[in-house]
Amino acid sequence: MMQFLPPWMRSGRVITGLVIVAIIAICALFAPQIAPQDPNEQDLVATLLPPVWVSGGDAAHILGTDSLGRDILSRLIYGARVAMLVAFFASLGAMLLGSVLAYIAGYFGGRIDSIISRAVDVWMSFPPVVLSLILMVGLGVGLRNVILAIIVVDWTRFCRVLRSEVMVVARRDYVAAARLVGFSHWRTITREIVPATLPLLITLVSLEMGIAVIVEAILSFVGMSVSAQTPAWGQMIADTRQFIYDNPWNLLFPILAVFFAVFGFNMLGDGLRRTLDVRVTATQRV
Amino acid sequence: MDMLIAKDLAVSAALGGRTVPVIQELNFSLPQGKILGLVGESGAGKSMIGRTIAQLLPSGFSVSGGELMFDGQDLVRMPVETRRELLGRDIAFVPQEPLSGLNPVLTIGQQIDEHLARLNVGSRRERRERALAMLNAVHLPHGAELLGKYPHQLSGGMCQRVLIAMAFASKPKLLVADEPTTALDVTIQARIVQLIAEMQQNEGTSVIFITHDLRLAAQICDQIMVLYAGRPVEYGPARDIFARPSHPYTRCLQLANPSMSGARRGLYALPERMPGLSALSGINGCLFAPRCPNVAEACTQRKPSLVETSADHVAACIRTETTAQIAAPALAEVGAPDAGTPLLKVEGLTKTFRSDTGFFRHSLFTAVQGVSFTLHQNEFIGIVGESGSGKSTVARMLCGLERPSTGSLVIDGVDVTDGSKAAQAHQRAHVQMVFQDPQSALNPRRKVASIVTQAMEAVGEGTWAERVARAETLLSEIGLPPDAATRFPTQLSGGQKQRVNIARALCVAPNILVADEIVSGLDVSVQAQLLNLLLRLRRERHFSMLLISHDLSVVRYLCDRVLVMYRGEVVESGPTAEVFAAPQHPYTRTLLAAVPPDDPSAVWTPQPTEGEKAARTAMEANA
Amino acid sequence: MLATIVPLIGRRLAISIFILLIVSMLLFLVLHVLPVDPAAMSMPPTATLAEIEAKRVEMGLDKPLPQQYLIWLSQVVHGDFGTSIHFRRGVLGLVRDTLPATIELAVLAMIIASVLGIIGGLVLFHVRGTHKEPVMDFGSILLLSIPEFLWSLFFILIFGVALQALPFTGRLDPDMRMPTGTGFLLFDALASGRLDIFWSALEHMILPCFALGIAFSPTIMRVLRSSLIDVYQEDYIHLARLRGLSERRILVRHALKNAILPTLSLMGVQFGFLFGGTLLVEVIFSYPGLGNLMVDAVRNADLPIIQAVGLAYCLVVLIINTVVDSLYLVLNPKLRLR
Repeated sequence: MMQFLPPWMRSGRVITGLVIVAIIAICALFAPQIAPQDPNEQDLVATLLPPVWVSGGDAAHILGTDSLGRDILSRLIYGARVAMLVAFFASLGAMLLGSVLAYIAGYFGGRIDSIISRAVDVWMSFPPVVLSLILMVGLGVGLRNVILAIIVVDWTRFCRVLRSEVMVVARRDYVAAARLVGFSHWRTITREIVPATLPLLITLVSLEMGIAVIVEAILSFVGMSVSAQTPAWGQMIADTRQFIYDNPWNLLFPILAVFFAVFGFNMLGDGLRRTLDVRVTATQRV
Repeated sequence: MDMLIAKDLAVSAALGGRTVPVIQELNFSLPQGKILGLVGESGAGKSMIGRTIAQLLPSGFSVSGGELMFDGQDLVRMPVETRRELLGRDIAFVPQEPLSGLNPVLTIGQQIDEHLARLNVGSRRERRERALAMLNAVHLPHGAELLGKYPHQLSGGMCQRVLIAMAFASKPKLLVADEPTTALDVTIQARIVQLIAEMQQNEGTSVIFITHDLRLAAQICDQIMVLYAGRPVEYGPARDIFARPSHPYTRCLQLANPSMSGARRGLYALPERMPGLSALSGINGCLFAPRCPNVAEACTQRKPSLVETSADHVAACIRTETTAQIAAPALAEVGAPDAGTPLLKVEGLTKTFRSDTGFFRHSLFTAVQGVSFTLHQNEFIGIVGESGSGKSTVARMLCGLERPSTGSLVIDGVDVTDGSKAAQAHQRAHVQMVFQDPQSALNPRRKVASIVTQAMEAVGEGTWAERVARAETLLSEIGLPPDAATRFPTQLSGGQKQRVNIARALCVAPNILVADEIVSGLDVSVQAQLLNLLLRLRRERHFSMLLISHDLSVVRYLCDRVLVMYRGEVVESGPTAEVFAAPQHPYTRTLLAAVPPDDPSAVWTPQPTEGEKAARTAMEANA
Repeated sequence: MLATIVPLIGRRLAISIFILLIVSMLLFLVLHVLPVDPAAMSMPPTATLAEIEAKRVEMGLDKPLPQQYLIWLSQVVHGDFGTSIHFRRGVLGLVRDTLPATIELAVLAMIIASVLGIIGGLVLFHVRGTHKEPVMDFGSILLLSIPEFLWSLFFILIFGVALQALPFTGRLDPDMRMPTGTGFLLFDALASGRLDIFWSALEHMILPCFALGIAFSPTIMRVLRSSLIDVYQEDYIHLARLRGLSERRILVRHALKNAILPTLSLMGVQFGFLFGGTLLVEVIFSYPGLGNLMVDAVRNADLPIIQAVGLAYCLVVLIINTVVDSLYLVLNPKLRLR
């Protein structure tokens, strides 16, 4: 049966990545059904409980509680919502903005290309974390603003890599041939160049999703992401970090959640890169 | 004494779980100081023999039997370290691509020095002196300056000279030259071949010369071995093989090559192509039988062994007596160009490129300077010249892919120079282009039918079924089966791809076809198929063509008139026969002299190129 | 060689200054659409509306935005970055106190990232085609998925809390005093002959530097590996073998010299990111550098600091890029000579 699937579906990496991403996505979608407790319900008599397998653990809180007595497992599951929303919308938005500019710059070249390339240079001189922090200061906290900030910061990742790929494809003779038989620029880009760069684009999107999860975690870690009522993994890390000596376990869970998500997206991206045969020389990071 | 002896040498490859023979029954003996030419089309296994000598085979390939004796030692069975000691010392190599054969981040001096250091040439100063002497020996002037340069600052020909100098530095006993001139311009090709021959004579080196060009091999080699699908099919003295080919394949190769002298003759185009590695085991009997014009019942029964046809001359064919009967077909009758108003009128065409070198600075480069010519209906014009002569830029301007800087371009009475929308549409309807590299010219994601009828897609014409039907008509016209329409380009061979390339250009039924080097890089037999196809199309469609080619024999075969371009300008033009018989411009003469003559016993006197002349003057001024 | 490189580097510098100018403009723009009023924030809560308005005029906040920008720019050029609203101190002094700490951290981390990246890349290349390859490759993706702030927390949990082997707050032991000088602690300690301070500082830097270094090494590894694989396809490597050169010599002299070029150009980008990565690492390790200053400023909406620190980050990234590009020019003759 396997041979009927396209090659990318047969790659172990892609499947691993998809399974991990699917688990997190299910947590995010069905958080109210899955989570054992209300993530914001405080239980001030049962604060900083360790996980159930450590002495002092409570079966009602499998992974323990935080300093306000909130159930860590439930907060992790609800935290997946922010992570997934940001991963999905931010990477899609960054992809749209970055790839449109990349296609324009790479295909037309000349002056428009040098303007876009200079803009990328300007952006690249900001460390992404610093720029997103500054943007969050300007925009104010909130889920929509986090997504917007990541888009505004990370479009360059797409633009840079894709632009050079578009330039390579645009130099191929079949693109000239398409123009010669009367294809308009729009049709040439959409029919000849976009399909050739699609594998790269898909790979970049899945890698960007991992990056978006990290950036959101960083922003919520310093309290510049979603509002304090919304559970987010970065916030949980910041919270539990203050009690690292009393309760090192509780710090580990949100860390693992971030790692797990990023690992899933990276596996997916690497699997796609191999099976779709694209060269991502710059799988860049935050 | 024999320097290199192959005895029943066989190489095989692991292919999808099976072991398939790549080279079989290879037997030859190369005497000291002689040149053995290995001739064949791509896939014949000739380069594999070169790699076998160095025992640097691609992964999955291994020697499966026989021996390869070099100077009394078996190269196959000797320890790795012993062989490594021989390489670069007693056995030297000259590669196919000189530009990529040198390390781009090291200077020429550093690379020569490294080699000499390995050869244990004394001190740094001695090595430098030696390097200068070496460069001098390969006729490279300004040696001291050259040593400090990087490979990208040198031309391909200069790089090849450096590599030849390095190869001969150790006075090797054996030199393996793998298509050493294929990547170079015609005029330089000839000089490089001469240089190898000269160095070989001075040092008494034995040479294995790998080439696809039978005429060239006959000119410079002592012996020739013709290979087909990994088996030697003919082996003997070079002149003898060229004068009296015994194997039908050798004869067909010879007849597939357009002639450079005498009356023009038709080309013999072998059908299909050489079987690939995986198809070999499916053929019983003679491997050439499926394509052989003289095939008989007995040929498919068992494999033929090499039989002697004259002194030292063997051929693997059971019907060698019929070989001489294979004759070139008659030249296709295509009619004379139409008289009257020309279809295309080009006047003072100039193209200047500008490249930005700084914020506000830029440099100008004139690629084409004042080119004028006319093209009539049913006329084929050839543009010849070496790389950088501006011939491709002319082609791109004719199609509208570049706008001329100055000059005018009139197609069928309409001036299209301004590149307006209407002009572009007119240009598209009349001029179409066949691109050089079929690999890059066909979108790998489109099916053949979609590629061929792309012009219909551009105007939103026809359903998919209509397009497939149209594609099938076009494919049958260019000699491809209809089922090719639903395949992807990656499933086609190089020659088939080039046919698809032509079919796409024909879809809008243009009057003018611009063909940029469309047969370069193809095997001789495939080239002959395509050239014949173009003549047939000319007869049927009555169109005109501008053929850009570095290969003079192709131009001679196809074209009524020829333009010779040199550094962006047309230096000579006229009817092909006249220009080839009595060239006026010195550059045309250099170009013509660079082609090995049809008759291997004729004296071949390639002339020094312009660059060489300048260099020689400089050298004399220095001395 | 120098004669050809200097103009190219000069050109690169000119571009960097131009970029810095645009960056300053963007920074100014973003921070001035902010919904907070710096004038009100810089006054005591008891101030009247009239006093605040007077302050607004004094701070030039009533002028049009482009004019405000030009005023700010001319002050910045003269070294006046304004006064912190929160710390009530000159911003320039604050940045000057914290920047060396961050640079020290970043440079050490870059060295670690390069060494790990190059060693890892060679190992990955060496195991290609063997049964070890999938395992190593999987490992490199695993590493790729752990950002520097997760490494920081892991290290604190393991080496700080569980093993109690290394300190993980600040730059020095609490009982030590910072020696005066450049602000580069390792340098100052050596210069004043205080080896004890030197060791303490080094101890405090091990965890944050390794957290940063390890986080940024996998990309370098993977690019070096793939460039090595590319280079080994080249004719000159094959020809070097045909000349009888040893594999070791081919790797060191021919392959690495070429493979390092794409790796280097990636490192330029990576080191820019790494410098940004110090921000969170500093926060986690309570390391008194630019990052902590920035986060404090962000929490207090302290505009003058955010602007200055933002510029400082960009300036350092541009310097890193210029250095890497220059190095690239030195190593790549194709760009150097035409």
